[in-house]
Amino acid sequence: MGLSSAATTTTPSDLLKFCIFDLRRGQHEGEELEKILFFFPADLPFPAQLSVIGLSEGLITFTRIFSPEAACEVIEADMHSHVFFEAEPDIWMVMVVAKSKETEAIWRIEALRSVLKEIHSLFVMFHGSIRVLLDKEPGGGLTRSHLFTFIMDYLTDFLTGNKFTLPNFRDSLKERGTVQMLTVGREAAIEVQSLVGVLDSCMANTLGYSVILFQDLLVSTTLTPDDTTNLFSYGTLRLTPRILSSGGTSTWSYLRKGNVPSQAELASRSANTLSALDGFRDPSSDNYRIVRPLQHGKWSKGKDGFLVTDIWGVEVGNLVPTTPTLWLQQTEHKMYLCVYQHKSLTIILLIPVTSMLNGEEGISMLKQQLLENASAKIFKVEEKLAKGWGGENAYHVKGYRYLLVDGDRNISRASPPGKVTTLAKESLLALNKVREDFDLEKNRGNVDAVNHEKDLEICIRAKNNAWVIARSTRGKQLYILLEKANETLLYASEAVEKFSDRYCNGAFSLD
Amino acid sequence: MKSDASSSSFFEEDKESTGQKPNTDHNIDSIDYSLDAIENQLSSIALNTSIDEETPSIADDHHEPVTDANVSEMERERLMNSTGESNLSRETGVWRNGSEVEVDGATSSRCSSGYAGEMGTSSGTASASGADDIQELRNNSSSVDNDGEVSHSAQSQWVPGKRHMDEDDTCMSWRQRKKHFFVLSHSGKPIFSRYGNEHKLAGFSATLQAIISFVENGGDRVKLVRAGKHQVVFVVKGPIYLVCISCTEESYESLNRQLELLYGQMVLILTKSVNKCFERNPKFDMTPLLGGTDAVFSSLFHSFSWNPATFLHAYTCLPLPCTTRQAAAAILQDVSDSSVVYSMLMCQHKVVSLVGTRKAPLHPDDLLLLANFVMSSESFRTSESFSPICLPRYNSMAFLHAYVHYFDVDTYLVLLTSNSDAFFHLKDCRRRIENVLLKSNVLSDIQRSILEGGMRVENLPVYPSARYGSLFQNEPRLQESLIGGPAGLLHFIYHCVNLEQYVSSEFSPPITNHQNQKRLYRAYQKLYASMHDKETGPHKTQFKRDENYVLLCWVTQDFELYAAFDPLADKGLAIKICNRVCQWVKDVEHEIFLQVESPFAW
Repeated sequence: MGLSSAATTTTPSDLLKFCIFDLRRGQHEGEELEKILFFFPADLPFPAQLSVIGLSEGLITFTRIFSPEAACEVIEADMHSHVFFEAEPDIWMVMVVAKSKETEAIWRIEALRSVLKEIHSLFVMFHGSIRVLLDKEPGGGLTRSHLFTFIMDYLTDFLTGNKFTLPNFRDSLKERGTVQMLTVGREAAIEVQSLVGVLDSCMANTLGYSVILFQDLLVSTTLTPDDTTNLFSYGTLRLTPRILSSGGTSTWSYLRKGNVPSQAELASRSANTLSALDGFRDPSSDNYRIVRPLQHGKWSKGKDGFLVTDIWGVEVGNLVPTTPTLWLQQTEHKMYLCVYQHKSLTIILLIPVTSMLNGEEGISMLKQQLLENASAKIFKVEEKLAKGWGGENAYHVKGYRYLLVDGDRNISRASPPGKVTTLAKESLLALNKVREDFDLEKNRGNVDAVNHEKDLEICIRAKNNAWVIARSTRGKQLYILLEKANETLLYASEAVEKFSDRYCNGAFSLD
Repeated sequence: MKSDASSSSFFEEDKESTGQKPNTDHNIDSIDYSLDAIENQLSSIALNTSIDEETPSIADDHHEPVTDANVSEMERERLMNSTGESNLSRETGVWRNGSEVEVDGATSSRCSSGYAGEMGTSSGTASASGADDIQELRNNSSSVDNDGEVSHSAQSQWVPGKRHMDEDDTCMSWRQRKKHFFVLSHSGKPIFSRYGNEHKLAGFSATLQAIISFVENGGDRVKLVRAGKHQVVFVVKGPIYLVCISCTEESYESLNRQLELLYGQMVLILTKSVNKCFERNPKFDMTPLLGGTDAVFSSLFHSFSWNPATFLHAYTCLPLPCTTRQAAAAILQDVSDSSVVYSMLMCQHKVVSLVGTRKAPLHPDDLLLLANFVMSSESFRTSESFSPICLPRYNSMAFLHAYVHYFDVDTYLVLLTSNSDAFFHLKDCRRRIENVLLKSNVLSDIQRSILEGGMRVENLPVYPSARYGSLFQNEPRLQESLIGGPAGLLHFIYHCVNLEQYVSSEFSPPITNHQNQKRLYRAYQKLYASMHDKETGPHKTQFKRDENYVLLCWVTQDFELYAAFDPLADKGLAIKICNRVCQWVKDVEHEIFLQVESPFAW
């Protein structure tokens, strides 16, 4: 049985529905199914699928009467939240999640929307925009097949048992769609800088880019912030040593789930996804060769230190895997993806396809060059970083549970997940609510350019005596939970001030 | 039923349908009685018109019917007492019962005055507020708080009544109004719209109904839709659907509460028994039943931008010397007997004294809606009145009868009885009360309090040791030149939880115009909502700083304090000032709160 049907038999389809539809398609009666580009669960009867899409479409139209510039973003009903995201003009992603106090299904809408955003940006990175795919093949089969495999592969990450665990209030001290940085000392920073120079010279005149990760943290990037975020997401999802070591010992990550299921398990899930697709695919689209960049267990480390995968196919004849490619978001350039790993250090190189006239051959030459010229440097940098690395609790600040988001640079830092689990449920629920209020203020600020970057400070002493503190200033946000704090407001404020001075360069200090 | 059905044609149809079922059960009878009661209600509101001989007798489940004789006697009495016969309010025409021509006339003239496509160009019929059009439109209101209120500098200049009758959903101006309220029936028939003509909004209304029922068919209930700055909030009350569409930045909880109050106001006028009309005829047209109540609703919407009672679940008292309030309470107590359920002396929306004979204390929401109803209905001001009203929290299914009499332009007496024959008795009570109030100078004390009373932040005792014995000591006002209170204190609201009462400081500079007051009100409203979150609240303390204010909130079992400071206020100092405010309130509590039997526990 496929994943989708497995999910629906064991957990009611009520828990999660997820669809993508195109408002430009299926405008005539009887052609409504044309609109649907993706639907989960796929085995939900078509009338039920159309009813979800009908309601969404109706509300998009309705809300435009009053708010032409921003159509429907969310529907809150007693039992469900419907989260909307217009991924591309007229192409909508809608996620319907059931609410339940018992199962801790208490959501923050923006956290769910950031899942939709991540899915879309990763999809575009590997397959290009949905609209372009639809234009390429107006029948829609190509797009549907791609979306289905891609999203199902993505969703496996949220599976615990046979239930989807989407980010809920327990993830209030996380920010999806941001990058987590490694703090490095001055000496190490110089080494890293010089490594970036060497990598640049390896790519010679190809105008390539490099991204360096240490564990699940970003060390350096030459990409634009958006592309960095996408590649960082992909890296932490599929490429880092934590992932490749098949759920072994070191299983922490700031954003991703703490416990990685074994590679074999995930691989089998992925395989199931594909078989589920068989029932979904319409016969005309059977012949698409679908690249599944998010398929589990498909990346492995080669003898030379480069990561290999057959996701992008295998060259006919010599069984050498084809080098992966992806698209840059801003320039829309197609790039080769080369990943080299040494211990905890992952180096991602992106080389423009157009500048590699001799294709795969050129890539092998480049790899060779890298091994010859950069490996010594790489070893050195890895050693330096590993020495300075404080382990998974490196960014823990005693007494504090925090999340710091720099919206301008798309960076966040947070208390390690292991420390967040010590917090009481009530504290996290209160924080979740405060974050929701902040999200609303932020969204209003975005609509209203004048109010952008509102300075805002909220300190709440919750029912359980925890202090929930949220600060926003000049594009940065700081969220702090203090559970064992003194009862006075001044004490709590002082604690924040100290934190700000020490860890945020005083960005949130009053003076 | 035709959309132009007047109230009388509705009743004809009603009689017809009853006639089809001669052996009606008790329930059906009571429906008819309720309908009659509604009709009678309308007739009684319209005290300035003669009451038809055929007016059916009033009867609900608990009360004796008012006989025709009673009504005409009441009417004679009214004529005798009425001093303002010539000052009839302009809307009396639509208030009265059986005035088919006038209702239709009013409606049709509205309908004909510029239908669709004119895109708001027909301003000729747009009531008294032509000058406000620009401000009411979202585009032009860079000031965040304008939600379509008339923004005069002083609240007293606000004119109640429905605006922009010529608009409909095809008009850009209508779409850009900052806050819409709609009431519709479960079959999608429009019942009420804050802006525009209900009859022209039938299509729009059907859309709202479709959204609600679509979600309902999926086994769920839609509460909120969010789009950019807009929120669409839905409340379903049996066969009646209420919807608010707003871009005012108010929280969902606040808008939801406003819809609840809107529904409460409708129940106050009609009782919940109107539901039964829908049970019998899903296409029942309720609009005529609300004919002429536009001012009541527009005044309620206006209160959503200035009256803290709308979110605090508490009422406020007019500050008065202790002895004055005691004198008022004594005479109210004196006239209270088994027939008087509640008696209250009010000054605008503030309570002077309130006495209930029953153990059930009057719910603050009922008080809010009742005061709004009385104050917004011009006819109550012109003569003493006896009108059926329903207190939704007391008994949403039945009418009580309210005897209303204004002593002066601000001060009025309301006596609520379950006995529909009690008019003369209550009139008598009123005379006794009036005598006492005059003798003991209560009315002049009230006027004095309006002018001088109240807590002003600039009068907050500066030294912690200083104690205020009374707000009425005739001391020279301190620090007149000071803007606001010490440490940047701008305003505060103190809510005494046990008493269900609050006291709010008077507005001092710089919060002097309606825009500023509304902004502050909205800030409090948001603060209240975040403190009382359903899942995680109530929280204990909150400090909030944004570009407009520093807000501090304390919630304890006994009281809640909401204080607004200058945005640059020092945190430590602000906390000290809050403590001082609490002390001040405690010092003068006997003058600002109505003490009930159980002593106020600190």
